[in-house]
Amino acid sequence: MTKMFRKTLLAASVSLAALLAAQGAARAQEATIVFPTNEVGATTYNPIKATMLNTATALIFDRMVSQGADLSYQPWLAESWEEAPDGMAWVFHLKPGVTFHNGEPFNAATVKAWIELFKATEGDNTYMVEAIASVEVVDDATVKFVMSRPEPNLLYNLSSTFMSVVEPKSYAALGDDYGVTEVYGTGPFKLESFAIGQETVLVRNDAYAWGPAVAANKGAPKVAKLTFREIAEDSTAFLELKTGGVDMLLSVPSDLLGEITAEANLAVLTLPGQDVWYMPINVTKAPFDDILVREAAAKAINQDEILASVFGGVGSVADTFLISALPESQVSDSAKIKYDPARAAAALDEAGWAMGPDGVRVKDGQPLKVTLWTQGDSIFRRLTEVVQAQLKAVGIEAEITTFDSSMIRDQYKTGEQQLAVRSYNWDNADIVDWFFGGDRLGYPNVSMFNDPKAEELRTAAMAGAKNMSERVANFTAYHEYVLTQFPMAPIYQPVTSIGYNTERLVLPSPLNAPSFGSVAFIDMEVKE
Amino acid sequence: MLAYAIRRSLMLVPVFLAVSVIIFLILHFIPGDPIDNLLKVGSSPTARAEIEARYGLDKPLPVQYLIWLGNVLTGDLGTAIVARRPVIDLIGQALPHSLALGGLALAFSSIVGITLGVIAALNRDRWPDRAIMGGVLVGSTMPSFWLGLMMMLAFSVWLGWFPVSGARGWSSLVLPVLTIGLGGTALVTRITRVSMIEVAQKDFVTLLHAKGLSPLRIQLRHVLRHALIPVVTILALRIGWILGGAVTVEVVFARPGLGTLLIKALAQHDYPVVQASLLMLAMAVMIGTLLGDLLQAAMDPRVRAALA
Repeated sequence: MTKMFRKTLLAASVSLAALLAAQGAARAQEATIVFPTNEVGATTYNPIKATMLNTATALIFDRMVSQGADLSYQPWLAESWEEAPDGMAWVFHLKPGVTFHNGEPFNAATVKAWIELFKATEGDNTYMVEAIASVEVVDDATVKFVMSRPEPNLLYNLSSTFMSVVEPKSYAALGDDYGVTEVYGTGPFKLESFAIGQETVLVRNDAYAWGPAVAANKGAPKVAKLTFREIAEDSTAFLELKTGGVDMLLSVPSDLLGEITAEANLAVLTLPGQDVWYMPINVTKAPFDDILVREAAAKAINQDEILASVFGGVGSVADTFLISALPESQVSDSAKIKYDPARAAAALDEAGWAMGPDGVRVKDGQPLKVTLWTQGDSIFRRLTEVVQAQLKAVGIEAEITTFDSSMIRDQYKTGEQQLAVRSYNWDNADIVDWFFGGDRLGYPNVSMFNDPKAEELRTAAMAGAKNMSERVANFTAYHEYVLTQFPMAPIYQPVTSIGYNTERLVLPSPLNAPSFGSVAFIDMEVKE
Repeated sequence: MLAYAIRRSLMLVPVFLAVSVIIFLILHFIPGDPIDNLLKVGSSPTARAEIEARYGLDKPLPVQYLIWLGNVLTGDLGTAIVARRPVIDLIGQALPHSLALGGLALAFSSIVGITLGVIAALNRDRWPDRAIMGGVLVGSTMPSFWLGLMMMLAFSVWLGWFPVSGARGWSSLVLPVLTIGLGGTALVTRITRVSMIEVAQKDFVTLLHAKGLSPLRIQLRHVLRHALIPVVTILALRIGWILGGAVTVEVVFARPGLGTLLIKALAQHDYPVVQASLLMLAMAVMIGTLLGDLLQAAMDPRVRAALA
């Protein structure tokens, strides 16, 4: 009896050990990641309807087109494409053998059904497919978009997460539950569970064999399971990384970079950012209705000093309104707005503002005092104080007014601002139209810029191009003209810093993608 | 007593209506609207008017209010404008987390607070009293944001006893419950102590002493029973606070909850979510107050007599 008991105990121990080992191995194939703080609180994985999508969306779904690190368009579910010379039609050749997570095939009929679904859905993303008049199935692997007008931005839209290809049948069947309880894409990972505000668990799509052109691994991801956690507080996320509770933070604020690099098993990966920090100048408010004063204020901003003192040298200076990866940012050198205190002083002299005894310039007995708006977040306040000091150095006294970040947009709508410090996050040149379009005064056009020549160039940029190269040329011209009118001063381009555990993860390097998304997660490895 | 309960409950109806008007108006007078969060770069300048019309935000405020109230009264809390989900789903996801955290924190602060209050009162002006009241002073002055991070450092980073954050299982509840509970404990301890000392000076207590009952029996059987009346009222009032008062702790410990949902929706001006969450919090406060009153009536024969 005793012998038998021992045998049973031994067998049980062996099985338990095997089970634990198996669990250990399984754990080794798993990674836990913290979403960037600005992605916390996404409520659905329905790309057609959502107003906000997180990084996991890009892993559940594939898109027709991918983007390389240089923002060039590369094949994905569309292997190749042709655009009609007049821009009125696009033909896409689709990758064969692609299936959705629920087994449905991906083909020309799916693309047609998806675009029609997109156009019929009441939502705020439909503008992305507005220019597509109809979709024709040429054959199983070829689809033709008939356009109502040329849309040279189509490839950008097709590479956006909002244009993730959804499985049309389940989309129609699930209604509001699509993207919450169930979701089917063709992506490298499948949704296992989603708890709003808490976590999303994804498991590997073993059938995946159609990775984007820019990924090194075209097959199934190396990691079996990904848990994405939502942590809004940076210090908490850092403590989780430090204690091994999570393996990676998708955004690390600059003040925690030192804490991460100080740990032996942690490292930081930096990628180009998609943000630009800038100082809008209200062109309608005196003294900034004088272009010379605007030029002086813009050229008083010492971007290098700000990069070093406020952002610890992480990132790069901005001298145009667009992120430098965009071809439209390549304006002529003379149009770039750079720190030039001598020119700032000369412009103010020319405008009649003479230096007063207290270091503040004076004209007709009036001191050069202006308001400088900012928002409550500490980084904005720190930056704004440095901007204030730099303006003072050329004789402009700026008084800072701080607004709550959720209310400042409404303040801008009053048009009372003179100068402000703000930032945007976007990777397409149409942001120039958004912030300087004459019919969006107040907000988003904080600069209240409404210039006839700019409007002409804007129309050409937004609607006058038949193809991509024409669009780039038109937007570059529009962007360049706007810069020469000084409705803002570019300041800084941050990078995206990703903190990770080097004992657990091997990240792809170099990463041929504009951000840490599907390409990175397909190629990422977990150390055994 | 039943008549009182019914009368008292009916009084909640006008309060509810007044609260609903205030919630609706305050929200619409705050600068900003949800449309800014919906408009995307590349959308046309006319998109704003289209979106306003789609969500009925172009209608006059009184009309918007009546539509909303009518829907709420039929149990329809609407669909979130920015979050794009039925509000009832969003609240349904957040509420269990808030109830677990707030309920346990309230239980913790009640049990520990009353116990410490009794010990302090029984040892008035002696070292246990001074030690407890000193501790209470420290506990009530520590901001929960800081206390939460310190708890995390001590029990998760150094000792490794509990997970740093998250909402998985009971172990992840311990630190947030302690963080909120300690603040509440301070309040309950102080009220229990003061109330015990006050009641101990009443004539009936002197009589009980004269009858020769043991001092401990007098304190725990008679004094505590009377002293608990204000404590119960305070605890009942905190029911509303339980649901939405834990925002900072929810953020620090990365837990979902009604407070976090409300703050996020406020920042996005997501009217239906804010209105529904605030209404729930207001109702929790109203129900808490009602409960406090009813409990007081049940515990105190003098109140019952006055009502009869």
